[in-house]
Amino acid sequence: MNLPKQPVQQKVLKYAITSLIVAGSIWSASGLEITLEKILKAPEQIAILVGAMFPLDLSQEAIERILPKVAESLFIAWAGTVIGAIFSFPIAFLAANNVAVNYVSEATKQILNGIRAFPELILAFVFLPITGLGALTGTLAIGIHSIGTLGKLSSEVIEGIDEGPLEAIKSSGGSKINELLFGVVPQVMPTITSYWLYRFEINLRASAVLGVVGAGGVGAELINQLRFRDFPRAGTVLVATVVLVLTVDTISAAIRRRIIKGRSIKIDQ
Amino acid sequence: MINLPKKPPPSLMVFLGIPAAFLFSYFCFSKVGFNLSDFRENLQNRYIVTDPLFNPKWSWAIENASEAIIETIQIAILASIVGCFIALPLSFYASQTTNQNKISFFLYKSFLNLVRTIPDLFWAMMFTVAVGLGPFAGVLALVMFSLAIMGKLLSETIDSIDPGPLEAAKSSGASHNQSVFTSALPQVLPNFTAYFLYIFELCIRASVILGLVGAGGVGRIIETQRIFLRFDRISPIIVLILVVVILIEQFSVWLRRRIL
Repeated sequence: MNLPKQPVQQKVLKYAITSLIVAGSIWSASGLEITLEKILKAPEQIAILVGAMFPLDLSQEAIERILPKVAESLFIAWAGTVIGAIFSFPIAFLAANNVAVNYVSEATKQILNGIRAFPELILAFVFLPITGLGALTGTLAIGIHSIGTLGKLSSEVIEGIDEGPLEAIKSSGGSKINELLFGVVPQVMPTITSYWLYRFEINLRASAVLGVVGAGGVGAELINQLRFRDFPRAGTVLVATVVLVLTVDTISAAIRRRIIKGRSIKIDQ
Repeated sequence: MINLPKKPPPSLMVFLGIPAAFLFSYFCFSKVGFNLSDFRENLQNRYIVTDPLFNPKWSWAIENASEAIIETIQIAILASIVGCFIALPLSFYASQTTNQNKISFFLYKSFLNLVRTIPDLFWAMMFTVAVGLGPFAGVLALVMFSLAIMGKLLSETIDSIDPGPLEAAKSSGASHNQSVFTSALPQVLPNFTAYFLYIFELCIRASVILGLVGAGGVGRIIETQRIFLRFDRISPIIVLILVVVILIEQFSVWLRRRIL
């Protein structure tokens, strides 16, 4: 059979990438002093830890301690998302290049990029000496990081709108404010709302972690129980977190789907 | 008179959902102790942080943190490679297009979901307890992290591939594994590479904070300086990390454009 040959350039690229991956992993493994012995011992060690967690500590005292912390993570995530949503919404209009003037949108985009570059945890420990240990610090850290991410996503949604309705409003004498209010907002609202919910799901995971630096939530509980070698209780914390995240994910995904799809409307003749 | 269609009444979900969201927000803000007057008062302490933060000690950071930053990059490289290559076969089992067995499909899918639910730093904490402090625990944590993301992204991509080639391979006598290997894998390989680069970027960002729980990398240095409120030493480290992250992102964007 006379099959066409594979292009040479593609082949070279393939080998280059393979060797890059191999070289990268060898360099990293040797730099981190990861030996075969360590890798072979790891599964057993992990099994011992998991074995120590079960049966879970479901005593009254443990549950009374852990549940408020898990709930606090939920509150932090929601409050942080609300802060992010409120502030990112107007900023998104400034960052969208089809609504704002060109240089304003460029500058706003750079500011959003700057905010997004800092992980929540770093923001949290910068706020820690100012607002103190506790949930407020976590909320602020998550809120500010969310402004960055939501601002970027929302501005991209605004940039992708259909310009037709804007023109229609302009041609029937509407002002710039009318255009934004009746032309842009109804078009972007479903997608932006679903992004808010999506961000809430991500923030829930982030807020669970924030406790590590003392910014409130369930993370502090987990790290303390692990430090004191109270593995059954650490297991309870972990399971409670997993249940919360799975529940929130499921509910939020259902609401998002409903928002994007809309309601089926019966039309009576 | 134009006969406009009647505007549908707001659905029950909107009717109840929006007030409920407002109430819940109010409840959350009161629970986390959000209070504007306290906040303004607290803001007067900001000089504890902002003064040192904007007086970075560059020489100290470069001298003490550059080794740890390299360690961070190594953790991210190794973990993203291992995690993604473990996820590659798993995602074929976690997609209904390539796994007709309902039970094993369900098991693989729920395994990936479970791994994804646990935050990266929780993995790191558990692995530091299990295998000891140090970068090995960090690598394991990020392996789980990248495994979960790649599993989700890739299995969803496999769900949406063109089933034609699979059928063609089967009808010419290939076994199930052969048909998956020759017809499904080549279809998703470009996506796999793109996702891999994306996950590598995420791992670089995530590996910075691993050190806060003792799982290696530059976070270890940040944590010790943070406890002593030496923000003058932390801020240059953060800037250095940002530079590294941006450089790696640029490289990966360039590479992605070459491949796709």
